[in-house]
Amino acid sequence: MIPAYYEFQNSTKILSGSHAIEHIGYELAALGVSRPLVLTNRELLDLKIATIVLDALEDTEATVATIYDNVPADSSTAVANEVARVYRETRADALIAVGGDSVLDTAKGATIVLTHRSTTGLVEQQGAESLLGRRTVPFIALPTTAGTGSEVTSAVVIKDTDQHLKLSFQSLSLLPDVAILDPRLTLKLPPRLTASTAMDALTHAIESVSSRQANPLSDCYARAAIDLIREYLPVALDRPDDVAARLALANAALMAGVAFSNALVGIVHAMGHAVGGVAGVAHGEAMALLLPHGMAYNLDAVADRYASILPNLLGIEAYAAVPAAERGQTAIETVKSLLAMLHERTGIPLTLGAAGVQADQIPEIAAAALDDGSMSMNLKQPTFEELSSILAGAL
Amino acid sequence: MAATGWRVKRGRKMLAAVVLQLLGRGLVAAARLDKRVRFEVASWPDPYTVTLMIAPWGPGVSWRRKGDTLACLGSTNVDCDLLVTFKSVDVALPTLLGAKGVLDALAEHRVMVKGDLTVAMVLVRCLNIVEGYLFPDIVTRRILPRPATRKRGHLVAYGALIHTEALIQVKARPTEETAA
Repeated sequence: MIPAYYEFQNSTKILSGSHAIEHIGYELAALGVSRPLVLTNRELLDLKIATIVLDALEDTEATVATIYDNVPADSSTAVANEVARVYRETRADALIAVGGDSVLDTAKGATIVLTHRSTTGLVEQQGAESLLGRRTVPFIALPTTAGTGSEVTSAVVIKDTDQHLKLSFQSLSLLPDVAILDPRLTLKLPPRLTASTAMDALTHAIESVSSRQANPLSDCYARAAIDLIREYLPVALDRPDDVAARLALANAALMAGVAFSNALVGIVHAMGHAVGGVAGVAHGEAMALLLPHGMAYNLDAVADRYASILPNLLGIEAYAAVPAAERGQTAIETVKSLLAMLHERTGIPLTLGAAGVQADQIPEIAAAALDDGSMSMNLKQPTFEELSSILAGAL
Repeated sequence: MAATGWRVKRGRKMLAAVVLQLLGRGLVAAARLDKRVRFEVASWPDPYTVTLMIAPWGPGVSWRRKGDTLACLGSTNVDCDLLVTFKSVDVALPTLLGAKGVLDALAEHRVMVKGDLTVAMVLVRCLNIVEGYLFPDIVTRRILPRPATRKRGHLVAYGALIHTEALIQVKARPTEETAA
C-alpha cells in the first residue's frame, strides 16, 4: 500500500566494483576538489587497506592535505572537532573517509562542525531534519565494513565525552557526495565481523520494511539487500576472498542503508543501541541476537510485511511452499535459522547473556531503549515492562 | 482568490494557536492527574524548556521544567532547549486536531526537531497521554499507538486546564496501573 505521504532521497553517487577506488581522481575533479583530507585509522593503514586509497590518490591531480589516522573505535565530538580544526589548518577542501562506522561518523560530525560553524560545538546542532542549508564540505565515503550503510545514510550518532551525552543527528546534508564500494576494502574482514556486519545490514532492511515510515522505494532497496545477504553471506564465509561475494555484501549493506535512511528502523535498533550503551555489546552482534526477538514482538502488527519479505529471506522456491497464514512467523524462523548457522560457524552470540549482559542491567537497558529515537518508528510502542520482558527473554 | 486564501490561512493559524494553548495547558493538566506524565517530565534536564511551534513564525507553545515544577509558558517567545517545529500550519492542524497521531506526523516528516532526540521521545509519550485525556476514545483509537488509559475522566481533565503549573515529584517509574 502506498503511504498517505512519504519522502525519499538518495543523492549519493555510488561507484561499485572492480577498481572503483581508481575513479577517485575523476570524482575529486568533478567535485572541484584539489586538497582532500583523508580520514582513517591506524589499523587500516597497518592492514594496507587505507593505503589502497592513498595509492590511488597519488595518481590524481589532487594533493592530499593531510592524513588524519587517529580516529578511535568510538567517534566523539572531541575527535570531530579536532578533524575540523586540522581541516582548516591544512586548508583542505574535502573529506575522504576510509573506514568503518566510527571513521564515517567522525567525518559526518566534522562536516557539521565545518558547515555550521557553531560556537558551542555539536550539542546545539543535534536533531532531526534541523540542519538546514547545504553542506559546504565535499565528502567521499569508502566503507571498509559491509554493515552500517553509513556511506548512504542521513543519520549519525556521536558521543559527547565531556558532557556524557549521545548526540543524534538526522539530516539529508549528511549524505556523502560519493560512496565507493570496492571489494578490496572488505576482503580482510574476519568471519565473525563478516557475519555480524551482514546481520546489521539485514536488520536495517527488515526494520525498514516494518517501520512506520516504510515506503515503496525503501522497500525495494530492503528486499534487494535481503536477497544479496541470503545468497552471498554463506559464500563469503566459505570463501572469504571471494570478490563477488564481498562486493555483493557491500552492496547489500549500501542498499539496506538507503532503505533505513529513508524509512528509519525500530525496536531492534532501539534495544541494540541501549545494549551497546549500557553493556558495551558490539552493535552488529546486538542486532543479530535481538532481531528475532524484536520481530516476534512486532509480528501481530506487521505479519503481512514480514510475509512480503519471505521470498527474499527464504528464496522463491521455498517461499512458495509456505502457507500464506504462516509466512510472517516463517520469516522469523528463517532469521533464527540464519543466526544459528552464523553462531555455529563464527561464534557470534545467540543471547544477551552470552554477549556479556547481566540480568541487573535489564532495567537500565529498557529505559534507554524506550527513549531511543529509533523506537518512534516502530509500529507498536512497547511499555517499559514489555521491553524488560523482551530483553529478559533474550538473556 | 488571494484574499480568501490569506483569510483561510489566518483562520487556520488562529485555530492552531488556540489548540496549541489547550495542548500546553493539557500537558500541565495531565501532569497533575497522571503519575506517568510527572515521571516523564521529571526525566528532562533541569532546567529545561521545550517549544512546540509552527513554521515559520508561529504560533507556538512552550513548557519549562524547573526543579519540581512544570510550567506552561503559553505563546511567549523563549529560548528553548528542544524545539519541535511543524513545517506548516496545514500539516500541523491534522495532528493538533486529532486526525493524525504524533508518531505518524514524525513518520511523514511533518516536523523537524532541534535538540536532544531522547527528550523528544519523552515529549511524544507525554503528548500521547495528553491526547488520551483531551480526545474521546473514537479519536484516540485511531491516532494513539496503544489504547488510551486515563486515571481521571475527561471532565476532570478539562477542569484541570485552568492550571499553568504542576508539581512533578515522582520517586519510581509508574506502570499503567499505578499511574494515578
